[in-house]
Amino acid sequence: MSTFAKALRFAWDSRRAWWFTATARTRERFARTVLGSFWLGLSNLLSIAVLALVYGTVFKVADFKSYVVYLGTGLVIWNTIAAAVQSAPNLFRTNAGNIKNTNINPIFYSLEEWAFQAQTFLQSFGLVVLALMLFQPTLPVHLITSGILPLLNLLLFIYWFPLLLCLLGAQYEDFFQLVPVILQLIFLLSPILYKKEALGFLAWTADLNPLYPVLNNLRHALIQGDLRISQALIILLLNLLGILSSVRLLVRQRRILPFQV
Amino acid sequence: MTLASDDSKPVLELRDVWLRIPVNTREVRTLKKALIRSVTGGALRKTSKGTEIEALRGITCTIHHGERVGLIGHNGAGKSTFLRLISGIYVATTGFFRASCPVYPMIQKSFITGPELSGLQAVKGHYLLMHGHLRGFPGFLQEVVEFSELGDFIHLPMKGYSEGMSARLLFALLTSSSHDCLALDEGFGSGDARFYERAQQRLEQFITTAGTLILASHSDGLLKQFCKRGLVFSQGQILFDGPIDESLTYYHEHFC
Repeated sequence: MSTFAKALRFAWDSRRAWWFTATARTRERFARTVLGSFWLGLSNLLSIAVLALVYGTVFKVADFKSYVVYLGTGLVIWNTIAAAVQSAPNLFRTNAGNIKNTNINPIFYSLEEWAFQAQTFLQSFGLVVLALMLFQPTLPVHLITSGILPLLNLLLFIYWFPLLLCLLGAQYEDFFQLVPVILQLIFLLSPILYKKEALGFLAWTADLNPLYPVLNNLRHALIQGDLRISQALIILLLNLLGILSSVRLLVRQRRILPFQV
Repeated sequence: MTLASDDSKPVLELRDVWLRIPVNTREVRTLKKALIRSVTGGALRKTSKGTEIEALRGITCTIHHGERVGLIGHNGAGKSTFLRLISGIYVATTGFFRASCPVYPMIQKSFITGPELSGLQAVKGHYLLMHGHLRGFPGFLQEVVEFSELGDFIHLPMKGYSEGMSARLLFALLTSSSHDCLALDEGFGSGDARFYERAQQRLEQFITTAGTLILASHSDGLLKQFCKRGLVFSQGQILFDGPIDESLTYYHEHFC
């Protein structure tokens, strides 16, 4: 069996362990709070309320209800992508002791982090969708009828993209310094707080942004109830290629990983 | 030289295995070659990609099923690196290496879960990783809690544990299952003095149940007690391979 196949086999065999440790981390995070993991959704809702009020006024939004839904769905998806990307530099460093002293395949740590990010997202996304139903009651129906594939794409994307960044960053440390700067720029240049049309003749820049199509495909499906199938399939294909490439890189880099962390 | 009978199956086969460790940090780059050699035991080598330490150099040996092998050498001679290589933590840079069964490294110093999680969650995570399910977990947990003497502390976050409590829990956890092939480092901790005696008994029992043992130690007594064969390491090379008594004599004559 090739080392690549062994890594995938281990990922499957250890699925209950990495899912459990991620769940335990999520629970522990809010262990001493009254509202528990509700805070995940509440913190998002608070941001959405404040930003919708401020930017809705700044942009002189005509239809405030639809703007809240647009901003809310965009922000909760963006926060998930940003959190996954920001955790990338620490992915192996926080597990350095185990990487140096145990023979656990490092794919375990990448999956545990992914499970943690996915669980965090699903909890906050659920609460945000529930709250935004006050403005657009069709959101859950659209999620079921059109949003499953875009949602799957988002979950796949937050696995391989941070892993790729982490592995590249282990080789070129300067990379990690660039990540927060680029992330901030992408946020400001992406139509998340504002509509794509507001970019005017620069609207094409949103399509060059590698993170935006993942976000927008899901948001569009949720709000419009319309699945842009060709875009979703292209993203799915890119996601599968991304997973293959990042896991292959992880397998190749495993021999030097204990010396890099 | 191999002390096992000829018909026993090789568990580990190494032929001309080299392990070169890249030295990347600025701090190490500024150190003198001699200092690095004294710290690592390996030889320093400059390549087009940068500086490397030859941590293992041309290792050739075969370890058969059921053998009890002691690794002898001063600090930095290559013993721990050898343990990490055979257990799959390190991958050989060149040469042939084959392990015909999983080698369990007993050099772990931390849990797979973070310190913010409880001891119970650490035990559960470990069990799931080893078995992939929770069948038999209550009995396993009870045994670990009893031996580590943690009681209700098992439900508290490990960040509140003393060093001794953490060491006891880790020791109880890692010695709760038997393994076909065990790579054990003497430095493997076992908590406070009161716990030491019980830990020694359990460790002896644990080692006895292992199919094949590779033990790195500075203690002649421990090596003689558990091992029949000795490999003497120096600067990443095996200088002597023979019966444990002869290996220890060789080591003391040449290095002490």
